[in-house]
Amino acid sequence: MEAMIYAENLRKEFKKIIKEPGLKGAAKALFKPNKEIVTAVDDISFEVPAGEILGFIGPNGAGKSTVIKMLTGILTPTSGFCRINGKIPQEDRKNYVREIGVVFGQRTQLWWDLALRETYSVLKEIYQVPEEQFKKRMTFLNEVLELDSFITSPVRTLSLGQRMRADIAAALLHSPKVLFLDEPTIGLDVVVKENIRSAIRKINEEEGTTVILTTHDLADIELLCERIVMIDKGRKVFDGGLSELRHNFGDVRTLRFELVNGPDFKLLDYRRRFKLTDDDVSAERDGSSVTVRFDTAKVSVEEMISYTLSTVHVKDLNIKDVEIEEIIKKLYRREVSL
Amino acid sequence: MMRYIRLHRIFIAQYLKRLMEYKVDFMLGAIGLLIAQGMQLIFLGIIFSAIPALKGWQFEEVLFIYGFSLVPKTIDHLFTDNLWMVGYRIIRKGEFDKYLTRPINTLYHVIAENFCVDAFGELLTCILLLAYSIPKLSIPFHWYTIPLFLIVSIFATLIYTSLKIMTSAISFWTKASGHITHMLYMTNDFGKYPVTIYNKAVQALITYVIPFAFTAYFPATYFLTGKNPLFCLGGTVIAGTVLFLLAIFVWNRGLRAYESAGS
Repeated sequence: MEAMIYAENLRKEFKKIIKEPGLKGAAKALFKPNKEIVTAVDDISFEVPAGEILGFIGPNGAGKSTVIKMLTGILTPTSGFCRINGKIPQEDRKNYVREIGVVFGQRTQLWWDLALRETYSVLKEIYQVPEEQFKKRMTFLNEVLELDSFITSPVRTLSLGQRMRADIAAALLHSPKVLFLDEPTIGLDVVVKENIRSAIRKINEEEGTTVILTTHDLADIELLCERIVMIDKGRKVFDGGLSELRHNFGDVRTLRFELVNGPDFKLLDYRRRFKLTDDDVSAERDGSSVTVRFDTAKVSVEEMISYTLSTVHVKDLNIKDVEIEEIIKKLYRREVSL
Repeated sequence: MMRYIRLHRIFIAQYLKRLMEYKVDFMLGAIGLLIAQGMQLIFLGIIFSAIPALKGWQFEEVLFIYGFSLVPKTIDHLFTDNLWMVGYRIIRKGEFDKYLTRPINTLYHVIAENFCVDAFGELLTCILLLAYSIPKLSIPFHWYTIPLFLIVSIFATLIYTSLKIMTSAISFWTKASGHITHMLYMTNDFGKYPVTIYNKAVQALITYVIPFAFTAYFPATYFLTGKNPLFCLGGTVIAGTVLFLLAIFVWNRGLRAYESAGS
C-alpha cells in the first residue's frame, strides 16, 4: 500500500527581482529588472504512512511553508510531484481538498465579520457535510476544542487562542483524512497550546488522521510526533524518528542539582577533571541550581555524579535525557551535521 | 449546478448579515449612494438639456441606450464586485490560499463571497432612464422582445464580467492588477453613448477589441429599430461567449502561476 503522503523530488523556484535600495533603485528595477531565481525548495522527497503525525521543522525561511503549500495544492511545484491520498493535488484539486484539512496559524480562513457558528454553517455547505453528521461533528469539536464560550461571537472579536481553536475546528469539520497544520501553536499561551496538542492527539488516535505539522515549538514535536523531517535552505537534512535523532546527535544527558551553598559552584571543574572540551560539557549556574550537559560517550553518568557529590554539598539531584530542543538548536546553528 | 445556486443563496444571506453587523456604515453607505445616484441623474439632465440631439439620435434614444448600458453593468456590479479585490489585495497578500483549499471552483468562490448592494443605486437610475424613455419611443414590440432582452442582458453582463476576470487574473503573475481593471473599466463609458458619435478608431476599439459597444449600443439599436438582429444581438452573444471562455482560460493558467505570500 502506498503511503498517505508521498513526495518525490519536490522543487520550487521563485523569480525574484533584485532592487537596489531607495526610490532610484525601485525605478531602475521597474525599467531594467535584474531577475534572479531563488530556489525555495530543492529536491525534497519523503513519505508519511497513514495515521502518522509527522513533525516538519526547520529555521525561518527554510521552505517549510512552501512545501506545505505544494502538498495542499496551493502552489504548483517547478518540478517533482506529490501524491496524497492517491491524488495529485495540482491535477485534481477539488476532489483532493475535500479530504484534507489545512490550518495556517498565521492567517485565518474564517470569515472576519461572521459569527463563528455561521462560518461553520457555510463550511458545512461548501464541504457538503450532511446535517446529522454535522451536528455530531460540532458536538465532538466543541468537546475537544472548547468552542462553546465563543461560538456566537464574530471572528474579529476572538482572541488569538480562540481563533486558532476555531480555525482548527474549521479544518476538521469535514472529517479529513489528512490534516496540514502550519504553525498551529504560534503565539499561544501554554494552556491553549496544551489544549490544541491534546485535540490533535485525539483526532489522530480516534480517527487515524494523518497529520503534518510545522512548528518552532519543540515541545509540540516531542509531545506529538514519532517522526520528524527537518529542512534547511530548501533541502532535507534529516528524516527519521526522534530516538534516531537523539542517537545520531550523541547521547547527551542533562544533570541538574541544587547546591547547599551557591558559591561552591566554582569548585566544580568538569573540563579539567575529565579532560573535556567545551563541546563535551557545559555547566551553568542560576542561584543555587546548576545545570550540566555532557556527552556520555566521553564521560559516564556514574563518574559525573560521583565527582559532583564528592566535590560539593548537594540537596537534590536528577538526570535527564537530552532535550530535543538542544539538538535542534545546535543543528540550526550548524554546529553538528547529520 | 444546483449546489452552486444553493451555495450562492447562503453566501448572499451571510453577506447581508455581515452588512448589518456595521449599522452605521450601512446607513451612511445607503445615504451616500442615494446622493451619488441623484447627482448622476441631475448631471445627465443638464447634459441632455443642452444637447437635444446627438448626431441624428434624438434625446430619448440616447437616454434609452444609456439606460440599457446600465443593465449589464448593474448585474455585473451586483454579483462580481469581489473580483476587484483579487487584483487589489487578495493575491498580493496571499489570501487566495484559502480559496485553493476548498472543494469548490475558485472563481465561483471569490465571486460568490461578496454581493454588492451599492449596485441597487445604479439599478434605480437604470429603471428611471428606461421607464422615462421607452414610452416616448415607438419600440417595435413582439412576444419575443422581453425574452430576447433578458438573454442579451446575460451575454452583455458576461462581457463585463469576463473582462474583469481577465484583468484580475493578471495579478496571478504581477501580484497586483487593480489599476489595469480600473483602466479598462473606464473605457466602458464609451459604450454608454451611440458609437456613431466617435471617430473610426474608437469605434473599432469598442466594437472589436474591448467590445463594450456590444454591451449597450448594438443591442439597444436592435430594440429601437428592429434592424440587424444577427450583428447586434449575435455579436453580443459571440463576444460574451468568447470572452468568457478566454477569461476562464486565463484564470486557470493564473492559478498555476500563483505564488502565495510568505508566512
